[in-house]
Amino acid sequence: MITAGCDVGSLTSKAVLMKNKRIIGSYITKSRVKPEVSAREAMQGALQQAGISEDQITCCVGTGYGREKIPFVNVAVSEIACHGKGAKWLMPSVRTIIDIGGQDCKAMKIDASGKVIKFITNDKCASGTGRFLEVMARVLGINIEDLGRMSRKAKTPVILASTCTVWAQADVIKYLNSGYALEDIGAGINTAMANRIAILANTIKAEKDISMTGGVAKNEGVVTTLSKTLGQKIKVARKADPQLAGAIGAALFAEEHKTEQGGQQ
Amino acid sequence: MRPEIKEYNYDWMLWRILDPASRIADGSLKELDLAYRYVPYFKGVLDPLLREGLPGRLFLKMINTYFENLHTAHAKGKKIAITTFCFSPAICYALGVVPVTLEPLTALGGLMWKRGTFDYLDYACEMGFTETSCSSQRGALGAYLAGLGEEIDFLLCDTPGVCDTNANAFAFAAAFLDKPFYQLNYPQTLGDNKTDNYHLADYKEMIRFMEDQSGKKLDLDRLRQVLDEVDKQDELISDLEDMQRLIPNPLPPMYNLFNYVGRFLFAGMPEYTRLLKSMVDKAGENASAGRSGLRSGKEKRRLFLCYIDHYSLNWNFWQWLDDHGIAHMGSILSRGFRDNVCYTEDLEGSTYSVDTSNIDTMIDSIAQMNARLPMVRSIRGPYDQPNMWLDESLVMAKVFQADCIIYNGTPGCRNTWGMVKPFAKEIEKHGYPVHIMYSDAFDDRIESWEATRERLDEFFKIRGLL
Repeated sequence: MITAGCDVGSLTSKAVLMKNKRIIGSYITKSRVKPEVSAREAMQGALQQAGISEDQITCCVGTGYGREKIPFVNVAVSEIACHGKGAKWLMPSVRTIIDIGGQDCKAMKIDASGKVIKFITNDKCASGTGRFLEVMARVLGINIEDLGRMSRKAKTPVILASTCTVWAQADVIKYLNSGYALEDIGAGINTAMANRIAILANTIKAEKDISMTGGVAKNEGVVTTLSKTLGQKIKVARKADPQLAGAIGAALFAEEHKTEQGGQQ
Repeated sequence: MRPEIKEYNYDWMLWRILDPASRIADGSLKELDLAYRYVPYFKGVLDPLLREGLPGRLFLKMINTYFENLHTAHAKGKKIAITTFCFSPAICYALGVVPVTLEPLTALGGLMWKRGTFDYLDYACEMGFTETSCSSQRGALGAYLAGLGEEIDFLLCDTPGVCDTNANAFAFAAAFLDKPFYQLNYPQTLGDNKTDNYHLADYKEMIRFMEDQSGKKLDLDRLRQVLDEVDKQDELISDLEDMQRLIPNPLPPMYNLFNYVGRFLFAGMPEYTRLLKSMVDKAGENASAGRSGLRSGKEKRRLFLCYIDHYSLNWNFWQWLDDHGIAHMGSILSRGFRDNVCYTEDLEGSTYSVDTSNIDTMIDSIAQMNARLPMVRSIRGPYDQPNMWLDESLVMAKVFQADCIIYNGTPGCRNTWGMVKPFAKEIEKHGYPVHIMYSDAFDDRIESWEATRERLDEFFKIRGLL
């Protein structure tokens, strides 16, 4: 049975194809204006990678910001549930998941079976989200992937407004104009991000093992600073790209959904 | 919160910086230079204080003594009470209780560390505070909530009906820490007999609560001693404020901070009196020489802060004023409304007096003094004086001949932030250029000092003030 998960986020859209709980195809693309276009593009990419056609998919679950607009899904499931399940698949020992999406961030605790038992989402604007890092990378004129590495080279990270992205952007421009080292500014950005996420993680009393999902999990600066702030190691998934966690969870839900349906028949 | 922050208590860390700093303050320049080599990060904190001469050194020693008292309180059989800058600690000293005044403690963290009190501010949010709660309490309080401070015995506050954000912070802390708590409650009106009687009765009840908690009866001789000291302090403050009216103002900008930090931590104690005396002497020397208190000696502008100062690393705000030739004409924090001050002529019924004739007059004096602490007065805006903040700001600006007015506070301040724009419009109508600082006085992560400084530059240039 081949199942699919499609996660349409505000910044990126992801699709995952699974067979017997193993990934056979995946794809990440930038989200377009219309969620249905983004979903189609992501799914086509995953299908191409797996070398299969759409009609071979038994069941597809949609999730993410645009989940209600995806035309080809059988069921839509909430992001938090999908991220919990996906993270559990990525790292079976995980109990706390910090997911940073394009426009929100969430911290959740799951039980041994992967069921979400507690969660919290950000109560502020774009700061502490992927969009924050994207905007900052653009201002610095660097690739977002390079931002994470800057913390390693920084000597004195700057202090940045971290409640409002626009104000933080203004700060970054001021620091640039004042000749501060790019690494110190980059590290300041990562620290500001980590501090905001730490509040969420501490609010739900993060417990071992802690893992991050979402695109920001690939930013080593944020992950390292967050680990220091929490005083606990954040484990980064190696089994697959952590940015795919939501789509993986969705594909796993699709399998469960189909199995349940089969049982009922 | 980072694990390394949890290694030591917040108030202990502050003391460990202030204790050696106050010792080397009396050293020679050569000794100081040598010390700075070992603590380069604190040069920016210590240098501006020591440049103020004796008042700077006494200020440093006074705060150090405060922390010493705090850390030795329990060993000496004294109780420790969390309280607020809206509440005079004089009654605590009369009863042998050591006050932990949250707001100055938060400010000190911001002034001395690049990281400020960020970890504690965030910890309070993790425990249930909203991010829009007032950062002035949240910074230091976060540490006490985390168990990273001296053990607290009880809490006192007087902000219900004055500042709900502040009152809620104390109510939260009392429940969270499971400690006894007394709130003085202010009626909606001010200045009538009914209100005065209500406040006096409430204050007496609070004294009974404090007696129960501290296990000590209020000693009349001790109360008289404290009030006599308050009397001396008020006299010195009045002298300073008289001199502040001169052009040029002979007071250095940091004197404003010295004044109110002393009052919030040490009202009624001789350490504060000594500090004020040294300030009066130094300002007097400047005044006789017709010299400005600014380092440059040239006063270009006179600024009144209609709320509070900005507590960024290394005294950035005061340094900026000094560098730009801007004299500090005080803020609501520095005004006490004693009956001998120069600014109450147009503010009928606003003052208090100190009468030590008997127990009733003494308690009445201390209660009335308490009712004139910042926020309790000025910002409160009771039903019978709804324009109090505006009226009093205009009087201060006029009396101290301010050229402009700046608002700085915290986004958590419902009482000021919530009405500052119409307030500023009204002030402008009276001819005073007004700048609203959108930073948080206690949290540089709301707006960095670099951005704040640039906005200040813009204001003074665009409005033709510099």
